[in-house]
Amino acid sequence: MDTNAIHVREASRRFGNRRSGGVLAVDALSFEVQQGEIFGLLGPNGAGKTTTINLLTGLLRRDGGTVEVLGYDPQRQAREVRQRIGYVPQETNVYLDLSAVDNLWHHAALYCRDLAGVEGRIGDLLRLMDLWQRRKDPVRTFSGGMKRRLVLARTLLHDPEIIFFDEPTLGVDVQARHVIWSHIQAQRAEGKTFVVSTNDMAEAEALCDRLVIIDHGRAIALDTPERLKADLGRDIVSLRTTPPIDDPEALFAGLGVQAVTRPAPDRLRLEVRDAESIVGELVARIGKAHRLESVRIARPTLDDVFLHHTGRALRE
Amino acid sequence: MRRFGLLLRNEVKLFRTAVPIHLVAILQPTVMYLLMATILVHPTFDVNVARSTGGRLGELGFELVAALKQVGSPIGLPYVNPILVDWDGGEVSRQVIAVEEWGGEPAAVQHYGLIDSNLVKNFRNRLTAAALRLWDADLRRRAVTVEEHAWLPRDVSYNVYFGMALLPMATFLAAAAIGAVLTAQEFELGTVGEYRLAPAPLGLILAGRLVRLALSALLSAGILLLAVGLLNDAWPVDAWLVGLILLPLSVMAGCLGILAGLLLRKSIPAFLVALVSTFVGWILGSSFGLAAGFGAGYERISRLTPFTHAAELLFPHYYGATVGSPGVSALVLVLMAGGLVVLTVLVYRWRILRQG
Repeated sequence: MDTNAIHVREASRRFGNRRSGGVLAVDALSFEVQQGEIFGLLGPNGAGKTTTINLLTGLLRRDGGTVEVLGYDPQRQAREVRQRIGYVPQETNVYLDLSAVDNLWHHAALYCRDLAGVEGRIGDLLRLMDLWQRRKDPVRTFSGGMKRRLVLARTLLHDPEIIFFDEPTLGVDVQARHVIWSHIQAQRAEGKTFVVSTNDMAEAEALCDRLVIIDHGRAIALDTPERLKADLGRDIVSLRTTPPIDDPEALFAGLGVQAVTRPAPDRLRLEVRDAESIVGELVARIGKAHRLESVRIARPTLDDVFLHHTGRALRE
Repeated sequence: MRRFGLLLRNEVKLFRTAVPIHLVAILQPTVMYLLMATILVHPTFDVNVARSTGGRLGELGFELVAALKQVGSPIGLPYVNPILVDWDGGEVSRQVIAVEEWGGEPAAVQHYGLIDSNLVKNFRNRLTAAALRLWDADLRRRAVTVEEHAWLPRDVSYNVYFGMALLPMATFLAAAAIGAVLTAQEFELGTVGEYRLAPAPLGLILAGRLVRLALSALLSAGILLLAVGLLNDAWPVDAWLVGLILLPLSVMAGCLGILAGLLLRKSIPAFLVALVSTFVGWILGSSFGLAAGFGAGYERISRLTPFTHAAELLFPHYYGATVGSPGVSALVLVLMAGGLVVLTVLVYRWRILRQG
């Protein structure tokens, strides 16, 4: 039995003038999403995450490859796919002058196959998202987090099997962010599959069971966040000195430093296999000709994974 | 059917997202009519006749006043109001007729003040009409006999024509302007995304919006119809038929508004396109008089707009006489509406359902 909700094989999509080559927004992208997991698309702005979601939902036609969503091709079997998916866009697209209830009824008319139980479901979802008390107020009076929760409630209204969530917590405060994450995790526990697009590493780490890191439309790594970080097999030592160290390779020779990058003139970032075993010697060598202003040892983050694969930081 | 009802209810609730536009689009034609009705030229107007001191000239002056009182439409009441004034031959404010001796014979001489040529024409025509009556009365069969035959069965004031010709405009403006703003607003609010992935049939979604726009349009026309009726005591023979005539117009306007919104994606430009196209179409389309009365060139252009066809179909309901070819006009309206619906479906699919 196929436990995958989504299959993507060698999917590609080009924008612009095709004669002059255009821009390859998605380049031979392949991945699978299992049923009931939260799958992340992580990458910087312009990496091709939203284009990938648009290919999966059938909003865009692909130039090559195959895409299957719950066994249907979103390009050829658009209606079958649309009845089974939900989409939360990046921008909070609600009617600001209508109430929360009216916004949900609007969605029901467009999406719900069976209108019989909609009224009860609207009530349940508004209570679940803690919006029941404000259900009759114009959405214009809601906070950013409340609007985001309303959009999530709206998407859940027609009981989709897969939910595509573009930048779930963009522009919401920290408290609201955790509330939204907990709602997503609760829905996953009930069997929903989520495809989450984000450029926020903390969000990807906290939320996603597995993720694919995308850069220039290509998948550069795919696994659980823990395994992606563990695969780097090294610690990160960040240093700040005065004066700056001119030749770090020579200074740290023999200490097992695997890579050196310079984020700022007076700062160095060293990738080492086991930071704790060499930190004493490291500090001693620096102290001979420089003053050590700060030192920090860290386990790799997803940003380090991205840096490792692309040579630049995710947030650049 | 339940889904359609729900879509329609939602469409009506979108009123709250554009309250000022709704008020302007629905009420503006009636407000415009009420303003115009107060300044429109009324056919009855005052003609000053200088009071004579007596004698033969004085008698002739009284005869002239009596003749002026008889000048009128063959199907309506006399529309000249002669007023005897004291005039010393000095400055004239508008116009005055004096019976004077010219070469030993009495003559009615018209003196003008600072007035435009159109008003001169109106005063002159009334004097000529009165003079012809006097001449006929004097010379009987040897005179030029003026026989007037009415084309219309009853006299209807121009205010009613103006109101009647404004009904298609009211219908068009409401559907086009509201449709343009509601559709463009979907792009501004991002709510168009809701429609992009909606599994509900496209036909049902568009029908919901078009029916709601048609209802707004008929509401606007209904308010105007009421104003015209109450102000002039002029009611159409069959109000339901008037609604039926305006229905294809409301569909056309709704489509035009939706198209403007889809193509421009900004509410103000889309609203302006709806507004300008409505006013241009209305002015070209028999707005101030039947197209046939303004020359062949105007009539040809006028028949390209739905307004002329609608005005000609409405005409019998207020005037009791048929103009143009009602069958052809009805067919043109239905074909225009059908064509615009097809175009709207195609543009909707292109703009909303297919991004690339």
